[in-house]
Amino acid sequence: MWQRFQRIVDQAMTRITDNIANFLPGVVVLVVILTASLLLAVITRYLLLRALQSLDFDQRTKQFGLSMRVDWSWHTSPSLVIARIAQWTILLLGLLIGLTALDAAIPSQFALSVFQFLPHLLAALFILVLGGLVARFLGRAVLISAVNMQIQQARLLSLTVKWLVLIIAAAMALDHIGIGRAILLMAFGILFGGIVLAMALAIGLGARDAVARAIERQMQAPERPEDKLDHV
Amino acid sequence: MTSTGSSSSIEPAEAAGKEGTGTAVPAIGAARVDLAIGLVTFNDASTIPGIAAAVQASLDARQVPASSRILLADGGSTDGTVARMREALGPRASDLVEVSYPRLPGDLLELPYHGMPGRARALRAIMTSARDLGAACCVVLDGGLQNVTPHWIAALADPVIESGYDYASPFYLRHPFEGALTKGVVYPLFRALYGVRLRQPATGELGCSARMLETYLDDDLWDREGAQVGVDIWLAATAATGGFKICEVELGPRAHRSRGEAGLGLETTIVQVVGSLFADLETREEVWQRVRGSVSLPVIGDEVTMTLEPREVNVERLIESFRLGYRELRDIWSWVVPPRAIVELRKIANGPSDQFRLDDELWAQIVYDFVVGYRLRTLKRDHLLRSLTPLYTGWLASIIPQVRDLSPALAEARLERLAVAFEAQKAYLMSRWRWPERFRT
Repeated sequence: MWQRFQRIVDQAMTRITDNIANFLPGVVVLVVILTASLLLAVITRYLLLRALQSLDFDQRTKQFGLSMRVDWSWHTSPSLVIARIAQWTILLLGLLIGLTALDAAIPSQFALSVFQFLPHLLAALFILVLGGLVARFLGRAVLISAVNMQIQQARLLSLTVKWLVLIIAAAMALDHIGIGRAILLMAFGILFGGIVLAMALAIGLGARDAVARAIERQMQAPERPEDKLDHV
Repeated sequence: MTSTGSSSSIEPAEAAGKEGTGTAVPAIGAARVDLAIGLVTFNDASTIPGIAAAVQASLDARQVPASSRILLADGGSTDGTVARMREALGPRASDLVEVSYPRLPGDLLELPYHGMPGRARALRAIMTSARDLGAACCVVLDGGLQNVTPHWIAALADPVIESGYDYASPFYLRHPFEGALTKGVVYPLFRALYGVRLRQPATGELGCSARMLETYLDDDLWDREGAQVGVDIWLAATAATGGFKICEVELGPRAHRSRGEAGLGLETTIVQVVGSLFADLETREEVWQRVRGSVSLPVIGDEVTMTLEPREVNVERLIESFRLGYRELRDIWSWVVPPRAIVELRKIANGPSDQFRLDDELWAQIVYDFVVGYRLRTLKRDHLLRSLTPLYTGWLASIIPQVRDLSPALAEARLERLAVAFEAQKAYLMSRWRWPERFRT
């Protein structure tokens, strides 16, 4: 009985030792890859930062009108943000490559799926950034034009355009990475349908008299002649 | 600064255009001419006979007979402008030379404030032809003018031919409310920066010498971005900054047929006119930073006095426009205008309408802030210039009650004070230009 128990324990110990012996090189490789990627990330960050600073990237970003209207301090300048993104991307990639070296099924599958997902994620990020820029640009253009046309609701108009573009960009980004495609479409339908329905109900029921009065005023109001001045 | 060369060409008589009657046109280069009169036209059949009659009468009336050519740069008129010109010139039609220049399809996409698409190319073609003819003087008139008299041509040409001036700029009699953008921004800025008191630098007419022509044609202004819109201001700036002998000539009131530019929005006009001047300041940085003070120009001709049609302007609406702008655009303004000035604007916006005043110094500083913002591209230039519109209407609402009941002389004196304020604040511009970050508070 004791001998049998000892044999089972020995076999178990042998299996554990074998597994450890098999697993250990992977861990060593993981550590090596992580160390290398850490070094590479730090060097890349340093070189990228130096290169961007020598190109006067922060100033050029402002000149191209891409600055986000935040007072970029020394620790959040555009060049530093880019350098940090590059550093963390390299670290993340190193970690994923390292995980595949472990030869374990779950981490390897996870790493592979992340690698497959990465292009979509980057494309979605690009769509989001571009959408943000376009939204800001259009929002500002609408605001200025509406003010110059003396539209009292200029701000509302501008925010509407800005958020419409942002929402569309976000929806496109989410659609690109395949998150909630069906829900997204449905949400859009419900949202826009809801807005139109709400407006129709508001005008048809709640504000019917007000709208009638406004139209009447518009029809009866004497036309205010524009000041025909030659400004030049 | 070198030119890429002119692209103009002078059409022989038979090729003078499909509208032409085939009248003989003198060969270019056959003889030097004393006077070249350049006309820039585009569908101006209704006004061109009047101009032709004035040109003809002016040439006939010259005491010393001079050889002359009439250079017509037409922008592709479809209403028979060229034929009517030739017809109206009568015996002088033999002096008519059609000057062709490249017309681009894109010209028609943007309507300039002066109403002439491709104006820079047309002017360049005229000036190139005038130089090739060896003209001692070149007078340029816009084909849309409705009240040209023979006196105009003589007034623009004589200072050049007889008194040795290089550049004769017209001074038109205008109602105190008219030309407010010129009076409130263009003239004071031009004067403070270039040191020359040229009161109407954006007009489309001029007289210039052969020396001036050479300088213009050697300049790179023709190829700069926005040249088709800003060419008139840039030509004036070249004359003002090049050490040339300049004068103004009294021409009385100016009436111009609109080619659609009358419908141009104020914000677009500001983008075009102010933007052209700002762009020019950028290219002449080395020049204006050395200029101190300003010199007055001789004004040639008798002062024209006449009763101008009274104008009514709704000042309250201008004030409302400013207030709306302050409410919605002050965040954008704060990108270029320092907080101290924003506080001043808040006081004005929140104050009662009957005490609505925008100080000359504050207005000058704001314009200079926009100059710096334009240079630094703090935000898209088009947006920046458009956001100036409510500030300009605020200034207009402030100045109109001040000049409404004044005689033209006193109104002129009031605007002189504004121009002096721009000169006094030039140091502010230079500081901001050199150290823009110092003015964050």
